[in-house]
Amino acid sequence: MSSVFAPKSVIVQGITGSHGSFHARAMRDYGTNVVAGTSPNKAGESVDSIPVYRTVRDIQAEHEVDATVIFVPASAARGAIFEAIDAHIPLIVCITEGIPVHDMLAVRQKLSTSNCVLVGPNSPGIAMPGQSKLGIIPSHILSPGRIGVVSRSGTLTYEAVSDLTRAGLGQASVLGIGGDSIKGLDFVDCLAQFEADERVDAVVLIGEIGGQSENKAAEYIKTSASKPVVAYIAGHAAPAGVQLGHAGAILGTQSESAVYKSQQLRDAGVTVVDSVTDIAPAIQTRLGVTT
Amino acid sequence: MRLLEYEAKRLLATSGIAVPNSQLLHTPDELPEVFPAVIKAQVLTGRRNKFGGIQLVREQGKLAEAVRSVFVADIDGYTATSVLAEELLDIDREFYLNVSVDRDEQAIVLMAHKDGGVDIESQPLDAFFREVADDTTETQALRLAEYLGLESQEFALGELIGKIVGCMRTQDALLCEINPLVLTRSGILVAADCKMELDNAASFRHPDWDFYDKPTSANFVELDKQGVVATIANGAGLAMATVDAVSAAGYSPTNFLDIGGGASKDTVLAAFHELMTYPLLDAIVINIFAGITRCDEVARAILAAREEIANLPQLYIRLDGTNVDQAKEILAESQLPLYPSLGEAVAAIGAHNV
Repeated sequence: MSSVFAPKSVIVQGITGSHGSFHARAMRDYGTNVVAGTSPNKAGESVDSIPVYRTVRDIQAEHEVDATVIFVPASAARGAIFEAIDAHIPLIVCITEGIPVHDMLAVRQKLSTSNCVLVGPNSPGIAMPGQSKLGIIPSHILSPGRIGVVSRSGTLTYEAVSDLTRAGLGQASVLGIGGDSIKGLDFVDCLAQFEADERVDAVVLIGEIGGQSENKAAEYIKTSASKPVVAYIAGHAAPAGVQLGHAGAILGTQSESAVYKSQQLRDAGVTVVDSVTDIAPAIQTRLGVTT
Repeated sequence: MRLLEYEAKRLLATSGIAVPNSQLLHTPDELPEVFPAVIKAQVLTGRRNKFGGIQLVREQGKLAEAVRSVFVADIDGYTATSVLAEELLDIDREFYLNVSVDRDEQAIVLMAHKDGGVDIESQPLDAFFREVADDTTETQALRLAEYLGLESQEFALGELIGKIVGCMRTQDALLCEINPLVLTRSGILVAADCKMELDNAASFRHPDWDFYDKPTSANFVELDKQGVVATIANGAGLAMATVDAVSAAGYSPTNFLDIGGGASKDTVLAAFHELMTYPLLDAIVINIFAGITRCDEVARAILAAREEIANLPQLYIRLDGTNVDQAKEILAESQLPLYPSLGEAVAAIGAHNV
C-alpha cells in the first residue's frame, strides 16, 4: 500500500466538536500519531494534550502534516477541504455527512489541479489495522492481516470487518470511500491499490444501489485484478426512485440495481454473496482456508 | 426536493431565463386574465397531458370550464392545489434540454434532443446531445447549435446554458429539465415547461426555501404498510442490508430506517413511535453497528420505548461497536435478548412464530 494511506503525522480539523474530540482520542489510542487539531475559536486550548490551532497553516508552522481527518459540520465542510487542499496535505479524509452536492463539485474541481487524495465525504475513514486509523471505524473490530476491504457504507464496513476478525481473517487495509454521489477516491482506485499491495491476498468489496461505481469496478476486475474478490451489494429490496438514507443510495436505471451490479461482478469472476454475513465464509472458501 | 412547474420557472426567471407570461390560480372559480391560454395543473408528476391536466383554450367562453376541469382532474393519483394559466407561445420549433449533476461524470452534464415533447423517454440514448456542461466557452454552444439545427441561435444558446448552470449553482439544484424549450416565431428561446430538483442537503443556506414539496426525511422510507417486520438500523448501508435480510427470510419489511450517525436517545425513541403506526407490526429488528453513534444511547432509548409504548412488539436486537459494553450493562436487567449477528436476530423471528 502506498505510504499515503499510512501517514506519519495526522491532524483533525474540527477537533473540539463532540465527534472530533471523541475520535481524535480514539485514533490516538489506536496508535495514530495525532499531532494537532483545528478549531477556529479555540486556538491555544488542547484536547487531551493534543494542541488546538486556528488554521491548518498555523499547525504547519510548527508540525509536519501528512494527513487530515475532517469532522466539521456540513455547512463548513467545503471550506475545510479547500483549506486542506491549499495546504497541500497529501491525504484528506472527510467524515462529514450531508455536504451539498454543488460544494462537492467545487471540491472535485479544486482537487483535479492538486496532488491531494480525498477519501469521502460521508466516509468512516481508513484503517491500517495494527498501525493506525483515520476516522471513526471502531478499533476493537480491527485485526492485522492480509485482506483489503473497500466499502461505500460505513456501518457495512464494520459489519464485514468484524466478521472477518472473528473468522481469524485480519485486514491489511480498510478503506471506507463514503456513500455520497460526488466524492474523492472510488472503488477502482482502491482495487488498483490492493492489486499493487503485496500485503493483500484477497479483497472484500461492499457496494450498494445507485450509480455505476460497482459496474466500473467489475470492468476493472475483469481486465486487471489477479487477487480473489468477494462482494456484497446492499439494497436488493430497495424500491426504484426512492432515496435510501444518504445521498448516493438511490435506484435510478436498471444498471444501478443490486441485482444488475451483482451479475456484472459475478461475470468478472467475483464471488458475490447475498448477505453481508456471508462475506467472511466466502473469503475463507476463496483462500482455501479451513475453519 | 422536487419543485412544481411554477416554482421552478420563478427560479429560472430570477436567473434571466425567458418563461411564458403566466398567472397562478388557487381556486377553481378564478378566471384568468391570460387569454388565449394553456391551463396546467401544478402537480409533482409527469404525463399531465394524458390525464387531462393540461388544456389549451382558444375560446373565451371555455376558459372557466377548462380551469375547473384541470383543478378536479385525477392525474395519476395526484390532484392539483394550484393551476397555472400561461400565454400561448407562437411556436416555431420545440427542443429538449436537461442539465443535471451526473454522479458518473462527477460534473454537471448537459443533454439535449432535437425533438422536445412528452415522449422524450422513448428516444434512443445515442440520439441525444450529451456533454459535460461548460459554461465558460462558446465552442459548446456552437456544437449544441449545430446538433439542434439552430445555428442562428448560437449566441443565445450559449447564454442560456450559462444561465441555467448559474441558476443551478445559486439555487443548489440537482436537475433542471426544460421540456419543451421553445423557439418562438419571433426567434426567442423560452422555457415552456420546467422540472427542477433541489438538494435538500443545502437547505441550511436557503432560509428562503418554502416550496410545496417540503423536504422529507430520506432516512425513513415506507416499503409496505401491511408488513409485519419493521427495521431500525444506523447507516444507510446497514439499514439496506437489514431490509435485505428481513426480505430474504420471507417477511415483507414495513420500512427502511437509518437513524443516522451520532443518533441520540431521542432520535431512536422517535423512531419507535414512528413504527407504531403500522397496523400489522409484530416484530422490530434493531441492527446497530455504532461508529459515531453510541450503543449506550440506543440502549437507553430501547428501555424508554418499552416504558412509554404499551403494545411494543417483540424486539430483535443486535448491537455492536462504540460503547457496546455499557449498552450491555444497561440492557442486562431488561431480560431483552441480544443477538450476536443480524443473521441470528432475523432467524429468531421465525422461532417466535410471527
